[in-house]
Amino acid sequence: MFGRSRSWVSVSGRSGSNVHSLDRLKYMYHVLTKNTTVTDQNRNLLVETIRSITEILIWGDQNDSSVFDFFLEKNMFVFFLNILRQKSGRYVCGQLLQTLNMLFENINHETSLYYLLSNNHVNSIIVHKFDFSDEEIMGYYICFLKTLSVKLNSHTVHFFYNEHTNDFALYTEAIKFFNHPEHMVRVAVRNITLNIYKVNNQPMLHYIRDKTAVPYFSNLVWFIGIHVIELDKCVQTDEEHKNRGTLSNLVSQHLDHLNYLNDILIIDCEFLNDVLTDHLLNRLLLPLYVFSLVNQDKPSERPRISPQVALYLLSQVFLTIHYAPLVNSLADVILNGDLSMFSSKAEHDVQQGSADYSIRCFTKPHETLEKSLELNRQRGRKKHQKRPNYKNVGEEEEDEKPSEDIQEDIDKGKVAENTSKFAKGSGDTEEIEMVIMERSKAAEKSSVIKEENTTDEEKSEAAAGVHSSQNRPFLDMVYSTLECTEDDYYTLFVLCLLYAMSHNNGIDPSKLERIHLCLRPAKEANTYNHVLVERLIRIMNNSANLESKVRLATLELACILLKQLVLFEADCIIKDIHLACLEGAREESVHLLRHFYKGEEIFLDMFEDEYRSMASKPLNVEYLMMDESILLPPTGTPLTGIDFVKRLPCGDVERTRRAIRVFFMLRALSLNLRKEPETQLPLTREEDLIKTDDVLDLNNSDLIACTVITKVGDQVQRFLAVDIYQMSLVEPDSKRLGWGVVKFAGLLQDMQVTGVEDDSRALNITIHKPASTPHSKPFPILQATFIFSDHIRCIIAKQRLAKGRIQARRMKMQRISALLDLPVQPSKEVVGFGHSSTSSTQHLPFRFYEQPRRVGSDLTVQNSVFASVDKVPGFAVAQCINQHSVSPASSPSPPSSSSSSGSTGPCDSVTTSVTSTPSTIQSPSDDSSIMDQPSVYSQIETTEDNLSFPTWSRKSSLRKLDSEITNLAPSLTPAPQPTISLISDDNTDSLSVESLTLVPPIDPCSIHSFSFILESPLKSDLQKCENAKFCVTESADGNTKQ
Amino acid sequence: MAYAYLFKYIIIGDTGVGKSCLLLQFTDKRFQPVHDLTIGVEFGARMITIDGKQIKLQIWDTAGQESFRSITRSYYRGAAGALLVYDITRRDTFNHLTTWLEDARQHSNSNMVIMLIANKSDLESRREVKKEEGEAFAREHGLIFMETSAKTASNVEEAFINTAKEIYEKIQEGVFDINNEANGIKIGPQHSTPGSPGSHMGGQQAGGGCC
Repeated sequence: MFGRSRSWVSVSGRSGSNVHSLDRLKYMYHVLTKNTTVTDQNRNLLVETIRSITEILIWGDQNDSSVFDFFLEKNMFVFFLNILRQKSGRYVCGQLLQTLNMLFENINHETSLYYLLSNNHVNSIIVHKFDFSDEEIMGYYICFLKTLSVKLNSHTVHFFYNEHTNDFALYTEAIKFFNHPEHMVRVAVRNITLNIYKVNNQPMLHYIRDKTAVPYFSNLVWFIGIHVIELDKCVQTDEEHKNRGTLSNLVSQHLDHLNYLNDILIIDCEFLNDVLTDHLLNRLLLPLYVFSLVNQDKPSERPRISPQVALYLLSQVFLTIHYAPLVNSLADVILNGDLSMFSSKAEHDVQQGSADYSIRCFTKPHETLEKSLELNRQRGRKKHQKRPNYKNVGEEEEDEKPSEDIQEDIDKGKVAENTSKFAKGSGDTEEIEMVIMERSKAAEKSSVIKEENTTDEEKSEAAAGVHSSQNRPFLDMVYSTLECTEDDYYTLFVLCLLYAMSHNNGIDPSKLERIHLCLRPAKEANTYNHVLVERLIRIMNNSANLESKVRLATLELACILLKQLVLFEADCIIKDIHLACLEGAREESVHLLRHFYKGEEIFLDMFEDEYRSMASKPLNVEYLMMDESILLPPTGTPLTGIDFVKRLPCGDVERTRRAIRVFFMLRALSLNLRKEPETQLPLTREEDLIKTDDVLDLNNSDLIACTVITKVGDQVQRFLAVDIYQMSLVEPDSKRLGWGVVKFAGLLQDMQVTGVEDDSRALNITIHKPASTPHSKPFPILQATFIFSDHIRCIIAKQRLAKGRIQARRMKMQRISALLDLPVQPSKEVVGFGHSSTSSTQHLPFRFYEQPRRVGSDLTVQNSVFASVDKVPGFAVAQCINQHSVSPASSPSPPSSSSSSGSTGPCDSVTTSVTSTPSTIQSPSDDSSIMDQPSVYSQIETTEDNLSFPTWSRKSSLRKLDSEITNLAPSLTPAPQPTISLISDDNTDSLSVESLTLVPPIDPCSIHSFSFILESPLKSDLQKCENAKFCVTESADGNTKQ
Repeated sequence: MAYAYLFKYIIIGDTGVGKSCLLLQFTDKRFQPVHDLTIGVEFGARMITIDGKQIKLQIWDTAGQESFRSITRSYYRGAAGALLVYDITRRDTFNHLTTWLEDARQHSNSNMVIMLIANKSDLESRREVKKEEGEAFAREHGLIFMETSAKTASNVEEAFINTAKEIYEKIQEGVFDINNEANGIKIGPQHSTPGSPGSHMGGQQAGGGCC
């Protein structure tokens, strides 16, 4: 401590309050007065002095008000300005800016703040021309402005905005950087402007609108437009998705801009919004976006973007901006407008003599922002204000449009009336045609007729197109693009656009009602947009094809839209005919999935995983439209890094995944429209599972006592119980005998069990939880060593877990096949399973308890509920499977035993089969193998064969049991466990364990020794084997047979 | 000062968790933490050395953007690294992490390295959030985790530098598209301009802090 305080005498050291004191500030003042001119010699001193002053001032603000008084009294700010203005002062600029940043960031007392802001010093600093080429200076400067803008409110605004001189340096200096090349600087500029707009000070806002709004907004809109054109070029010139990086950047920038505009509009400052809306609509959205929707083939002077980009951008606009005047006008043009608005309207405006700003055209502003701001400043207040002009432009449009459109609307209204009558009248005849969606071209024709009132059926499509192009070309383009004949490149955008429009709060519902896209139901909600619904259903139908080019995102969005069109709170107004078509599509999806359905275990994992990821990540259209990858033509390869739902599947696994998802979506949709609840999915429902702290009735359940040692070393005594889908660790319930409290429950299907190298009483058990987000690594919810009282208990536990695992998985597979309307047939796989399971209940001392009996709300029922099994979904199925499979299991002998009886021949054949590699052995047994690890199984069979020496045949009944046991075991041994070799002379016990748990003889030594045994069958060895065998049966059966 | 790369960082988290103090602690060694003085800054830069390469870290505090969606997303997008900060003495700042993270993941480029910072570790007596909780959250969401104290400067260096190391590794692996400036990474000027007065500050600060 002493050493320290001494050291502060030398300049660098500082400790405690000595450094932070009024006296110290006085000393600093002294230094400043001595060094008014910056020289090479004193500049380091000056930097340090200013830095210290900063610290003292902030300290003073927090601890001692006299510090600020002194600072003000001596007018120390002037020293700063003085330094700034010197040529060599540049050197100190960085420090000064940091100081200013810190002062305004850290000063909390209002009086202190006012001191700092008084005398216009801060404004002098704002307009100072710093060396902005320096990254650091730029950063400090813009942050300084940002900090000031945060401090801006109706009290402090007078320090910045001078009504008399029309100066608002903070704002005008900031917006000069609106297109600075450095991203962070641009963001800060936008932040500053928003902070300023937010301040509700009329004179200031008037100033902003009158003097700066037009130049700023027109430049901003132009800047955005330039970006869009660049973006479009990027899409058009793309080859092999090489432009994606650039495109991503451009899309994000565009979204930044849109969101920024929306943030301005949300502040809801009326004057600003008028000007902004005018510019945005008439200088960008209409002339560039909407105009590009049609007439792509006609050459034009006007700049254009490709239609897919236009659709994409328009969707983004509707998703982002909800400002009613803007989105209403825009929606109106898309739904009702025609091309005339780009010609006559403009002329009209010119005739009115209004400023050329109102021409609907995407053109460059006359002058740069900086120049306009400069000119505006010079013009001063006296000059004629432009304000009424802008205001009028906005109003005039609002007024004009209706008057022009009213006539049109009336006409359309009539047409619509007529058509709806027509539709009702001819409904019956049409329905027949529409039944088959594949041939629904005809249906579509008639619906087009309905809409457009065209009579010529022959060339209806073309005719309708031509006809309507005079009417509503934009809407027509939207509809026609919904057709996904080739692929769904454009379709996705149109769906997004429709979705975005229907979800936009700003749009007047009556506008959307015209195309029945309204989210809220119309008064008598019994009609809907037939054309749209039919096209949506066609997309669904299409997506269920094997070679479909419909991406999952498109399908999901189509489902959402369809629901939205026909489903209102309680009512589903879909016509039977459409529902039938939809059911057809669902059927197709079932067929499609059946095509991929395999008995493989992995199918179950995929099935559940897909469900999980679909449920956890429903389509978010907003996020979807932020993704630049959909702007490029759909591709199939995952090498692009494009999200699975936004591209086509690649390879069989992905095709399976896709089919699964299509199935899920159409199933959900169909159930939804038919108002039926989902009872089958997900396969495992959270609410059916045993949870921690549940209290179960475990009377008559099999429980194995064990010690659980977790990875961190905690050690607890638990009982292990196995349920249908789960294993659980319980401890006795203190209140009721025979009941247990669940301390842990985990899904059997996600479990891995391995033996422990040097302890035959222990098992390592790991249960992984499926990852919830792609960012997290799979995280084991249980990772522990279980120690049982002896190796027999250990084997039993291991078996039970293994069997439970298989059974749980199998049960789910059965349910999947039930979902796919596949007959739940006793295939040979099921036979094997059913066989073992039935025999298990007969011979083996464990039994699954049928129902998690929990202490819930009704205790009385709980006790008697033992028999009610239907609460667990799928249990009923499982039960009937069991019953089903009993009969076939009992009559033919299991495949393994028959094969063993065949191979009980000469010794040498056995030896060869032992020494041969597993792969060659595998083939014959593979067919009968039902295990998830067929190779392991086949090896087991071989060892089995080896053991079935002629002398063994007498114990055929035992053998049978053995084979059953072996049938079960392989899933227990996912990893090789080479440590306990098959033949171990010193420990017969471990041998018996291993013949049960079936370690594949991977260890070449053990194979060798085995063949050696066979060649020279030592009696003792054989005896040992036999003993082991008996051991096994004994332990498994519980009967003493020796 | 010439640099091989410039990494842009942002600091996010609830107000009052000590973001700007962390920033100042790291970027400017001249401001030593003192018990009766709380001082922060919203922008700073510092040079560090990784793998023998000079790397400049430019750090932007995102304060003042809370009510504007557009600003939030823009800030995220321009950064290569983010420090997500909470205050161990305020449970609510920890509870808000999920929202912050969701925002960050949504708006940032997917390669952005996010480090979870549990700040104010010096206030052990008022601790409301256990270290294990922070670790668990970080593990679950794939973040790097560190407890720091801007007051005592403990772990502050490590937090920023470890993040930089991870970004650097990603560059070496070719994960980051360094030519795309929107990733928050800039390649240094080929020709350094020593003696330019403007760059003085960065150099001076870096002098104190280079590891």
